[in-house]
Amino acid sequence: MLLRLDNLQRHFGGVKAVDGVSLEVEKGSIHGLIGPNGAGKTTLVNVITGYVRTQAGQAWLEGDRLTGLPAHRIAGLGVARTFQNIRLFGDLSALENVMIGMHTRLGDDTVAQLATLPFFRRDQRAHLNDAHRLMETVGLDPGDVGRRAAGQLPYGDQRRLEIARALALRPRLLILDEPAAGMNPSEKQGVRELIERLNADGLTILLIDHDMRLVMGVCRRVSVLNFGRKIADGEPHEVSTDPGVIKAYLGSGAEKEAVSAPGTTEVREVERATRRSARRGAEPEEAILDVQKMWVSYGAINAVRGVSLRVAAGEVVALIGANGAGKSTILNALSGLVPIAGGTAVFDGLDLTNAKPSTIVRRGLVQVPEGREILGRQTVLENLELATWPRRDRAAAQRETEAVMRRFPILGERRQLRASTLSGGERQLLAIARGLLAKPRLLLLDEPSLGLAPQMVDEVFSAIGEIHRDGTTILLVEQNALRALEIADRAYVLETGQVQLTGGGQDLLHDPAVRQAYLGG
Amino acid sequence: MDFILQLFNDPVAFYQTHTLLIAEIGINSILAVSMFVVLYSGQLSLAAPGFMAIGAYTSVLMGNYWNTPLPLNLLVGTLFAGVVGLAVGLPVLRVRGVFLAIATIGFIEALSLGVILNLPITGEGLGLKNPTADPIGGINIVLGSVAVIVFVLWRLTKGRLGRAWEAIRQDELAALSQGIDVGRYKLIAFILSALIAGFAGGLESHLNFFVDPTEYGVTRTVQVLTFAVLGGSGNVFGPVVGALFLTTLPEIVRVPNFDYRDVISGAILILVIVFRPQGIVGRGGLAIIRPRWWPKARSAASPG
Repeated sequence: MLLRLDNLQRHFGGVKAVDGVSLEVEKGSIHGLIGPNGAGKTTLVNVITGYVRTQAGQAWLEGDRLTGLPAHRIAGLGVARTFQNIRLFGDLSALENVMIGMHTRLGDDTVAQLATLPFFRRDQRAHLNDAHRLMETVGLDPGDVGRRAAGQLPYGDQRRLEIARALALRPRLLILDEPAAGMNPSEKQGVRELIERLNADGLTILLIDHDMRLVMGVCRRVSVLNFGRKIADGEPHEVSTDPGVIKAYLGSGAEKEAVSAPGTTEVREVERATRRSARRGAEPEEAILDVQKMWVSYGAINAVRGVSLRVAAGEVVALIGANGAGKSTILNALSGLVPIAGGTAVFDGLDLTNAKPSTIVRRGLVQVPEGREILGRQTVLENLELATWPRRDRAAAQRETEAVMRRFPILGERRQLRASTLSGGERQLLAIARGLLAKPRLLLLDEPSLGLAPQMVDEVFSAIGEIHRDGTTILLVEQNALRALEIADRAYVLETGQVQLTGGGQDLLHDPAVRQAYLGG
Repeated sequence: MDFILQLFNDPVAFYQTHTLLIAEIGINSILAVSMFVVLYSGQLSLAAPGFMAIGAYTSVLMGNYWNTPLPLNLLVGTLFAGVVGLAVGLPVLRVRGVFLAIATIGFIEALSLGVILNLPITGEGLGLKNPTADPIGGINIVLGSVAVIVFVLWRLTKGRLGRAWEAIRQDELAALSQGIDVGRYKLIAFILSALIAGFAGGLESHLNFFVDPTEYGVTRTVQVLTFAVLGGSGNVFGPVVGALFLTTLPEIVRVPNFDYRDVISGAILILVIVFRPQGIVGRGGLAIIRPRWWPKARSAASPG
């Protein structure tokens, strides 16, 4: 065993980000680490690499105890990592980035520098050659790419350069945190080949990624995290058919679909299913929101690539898909928070491609952002009042605030408490309530169930259902696909920035292609 | 204009008439290098005048009381500033960015208000006489040390130490992942900066017959920071060019019956910051002067 984790634990306040994880990575293997958003994967990596202190448990790299060492010493022991959101030294050239990676291997050269001794120049040249070789290993041309500032390189090259920099440490263990995130299929294939090649040369790799095709394809063993706990561990095919894993990825209710025999579904659900299936899964003729061939890019990454979708008044439409599929980006683009690079998007006659966010909100398109973004130091009531602040008619505003607090009694009870004392689910309710006070004609909900315990998810979704019954149109982004499909009239399944599938909520609920979009083939 | 004409027509006479100005440029250049070292390692430390004061008072007091020779006075003053740098740096380097700036300003104020103005030996608010000062003869030491200090820092930034500093400046977390002991290298830079500032302080006091306690306040810090901002802190020559430029500018725009020199200096500074935010000597030297808001050539990456 190269890496051995023994009951590692890390809590942030009440959140158990890493909750007693034990794990073994065999020397010379590629080990996958997967789990839904917020499962604690990155925190686990941060604990292993010393960025975050563990509160209990131990980590060992063969005979070396990693627990308690500062991050730079752990790196010095041969644990190299890349970062989920690339952290290159952007102003420095690509070659300089790789040279910095050699820091621990080089002796101190201060005196030689001052004297500019000849042997120092020879050393320098050897290191430069070394850096050239490393860049070639990851498929970058040192002559051309090497001299350019790392921050100016295309996205895929930056990912590769980060791997080259990690390799410069001559690591015993390489931890790759989402190396293929945001890449197109051919780039992903390139990363896959690179990982396999490095492994063939004897390097042990711990791979974290959301792309199941990649993880299941290259890893010998895969561990699955959910809510900070390891819920499965085994060979790829064992893990991908594990009911617990399917449940973790597709949401509660999934295991019912997966394991229960047909006919055992509760009467209520059957009723609902038949009622829904009467509706057409086709796109509406008249739409309050009409998006055609929309493109959104972050620099060189095309997060959304030609998405078309329509929402009619009174509908609940869900956007589902794995992490990184571009769901939240679509909402942010519609709200005017990120620019739309191509295509058209029209909300109620308003061209969203060049409207200001404030104009968009006034027209009635209101987003409840992912992560809630409530003001923790203000009371619940003050948070709600913030939404009605621009209004002239204070009496009406107050009536509506009272009405919202009656709808969400928990908020009414806690109106004088600081919002930071609320639980995750209650904060989500507060965020939704605040969104409602902005009088939305179309409410955009971004991952309302993110990081919530199952019973809280139920509560949030029943609140969403009630809001819908009151006549609010909803565009819902959700990772918890099955829950979203249960309440949605229609849904769009996204994969790498494109709509793969669309149809009625109930139809998709039973479509195996949805599971494939999340867990790979 | 006479100023520039004289520089080109008769350099020797220029040197003789403007010795004091040249010495001032030299001292400011050393201070600029001291600021460069901390900025290069990503630390917005504004402590330089404090270490200057330590260097200045230490060397002048030694000369006055023990009649020790100048080189020894300078050495002890420099080292003492370094020791204080270590003592201040250990706790202060736990904070970053503007918080570090505020903490170091606190250090300057505590030193001048709390120590210098209260110790009988420093002359309190009255300052300190320095009878052995040598304003004209000192210039050789000044120019020599500028050359040595700039050379040393230039070489250091090219090696492993300099790369570690650059890595830390760009991204501390990423630097850690490459095995760089961030705390240690930041402290090295902080102490080195204190040593250089202490040396500059000692040297400056040797050029003046009087050590003025009001010289070592926040105004001085802002001045030194401006050298680095104007010149650019991507390499050691930037702040030196900044010091040269800003120290000379008031002389260049000195026109009879025209009393708005500070206005012109300020306007030039603003222009540089707007049009060349990376400083005069940025990466790639003085190459292209292009404002940031100027549209770049569009990449073909964006889809249609």
